[in-house]
Amino acid sequence: MNADDPATTDAKTGATMDSTMAANKAELVEFARKGGALVTGVADAGAFAAAMAGQRPTDLLPEAKTVIVVGGAPPRAGDWQVPNYLHMETTSTSDRMFALANRIAQFVERRFGYYAVAVPSGVDRARQPFLSLALAAELAGCGTPSLAGPVLNPEHGFLYFAALLTSLPLPVDGPLAEPVCPAPECRTMWDEQGTTPCLAVCPIDAGGCLGGRLENGRVAERRYDVARCTTRAQNSFIPGFQKALEAVFDEPDKERRRMILWGSQFTRTLWSMSYSNVSQCQCFECMRVCPAGRARRELR
Amino acid sequence: MGFFHVDPAVYREYKDRVLELSQAIQINYPEHLPPEKRKPGLSDRQIAAQLGLDERVVREIRCVAEREYYPADEWERALEFKERACREFAQTGLAGVTKKYIQRAKAAKAK
Repeated sequence: MNADDPATTDAKTGATMDSTMAANKAELVEFARKGGALVTGVADAGAFAAAMAGQRPTDLLPEAKTVIVVGGAPPRAGDWQVPNYLHMETTSTSDRMFALANRIAQFVERRFGYYAVAVPSGVDRARQPFLSLALAAELAGCGTPSLAGPVLNPEHGFLYFAALLTSLPLPVDGPLAEPVCPAPECRTMWDEQGTTPCLAVCPIDAGGCLGGRLENGRVAERRYDVARCTTRAQNSFIPGFQKALEAVFDEPDKERRRMILWGSQFTRTLWSMSYSNVSQCQCFECMRVCPAGRARRELR
Repeated sequence: MGFFHVDPAVYREYKDRVLELSQAIQINYPEHLPPEKRKPGLSDRQIAAQLGLDERVVREIRCVAEREYYPADEWERALEFKERACREFAQTGLAGVTKKYIQRAKAAKAK
């Protein structure tokens, strides 16, 4: 870039576009870090060619140039140790990242004067995400996709991600060069047993959700039973409520109907929905056994 | 008028095809796989075009079929699975499944 070119030079400060963008990015990364982000990355809004139509940045913000991704708020080391699975499904912290994305969006508009839209954490009318957060996190260099599904960060392993779209041009990070999954331990396990920790705990061919194959130390194939994962990850959220309600409607006996209606499962679906977004992720078993980021989970 | 919903006969006729095309069970869906290996599911609009249906009809069929796919028993089994997996992990410690591989990696690093 030529600093003498007026098109690439800030008229007020004389700074080149490159240095201005880098300074803006540094300011945003620091803002995100202070807000609780463990990782922050920037993806090119035009790099989402592999995403399903309707789930690309410009579908939500036509002027989008970049996608800022923040990751953090993972379950704490102690949370992973609790033997009662209900603990983690009741104390999920994913909403913290979405709140942070909203704050960054506000900061971008106020500080830089560019459009910014936080990607909704929920789904649209067709139960589809507005943007694939996994793809955004991957393209922003915050981690790489895993055999189990979640994007894993090399240092932290499992994290919650949120994203915002903006018309603000920023230097792009791009995907990481090396995949986090499979971890070295998983590659050895595959070589010796033909499986990995996540596949072993939740095997698709034996009543679980996950299948796949490693080849030359990389994920070569993947199968994922979305519907079964829903029965586990959203057991008492809206899908669970719909199933329980159907059971109530189908039960002709008034007393039995009351047993279902006032019983533990139906009641938990109501608690879950009233807590709303903090209870959507209710199954952590594939991530519980994942060795990525394990150093941060091993305490005394 | 009521809520828009799909005629049950239309639902029964198309639900298996819609689930198959949308990949209720994803096979090589992830974006990072090589293009020649990747088989992403189709969007509702793409499925509608392929089956000659309205996009809204496909969306409703998919949403209902995804919920119908597993019976309530599977939801009960999910509770048993999580209870068992979580307690087993608590007994064996961090990454119990990979323990020996982690120990081996640590030993190799120490040399």
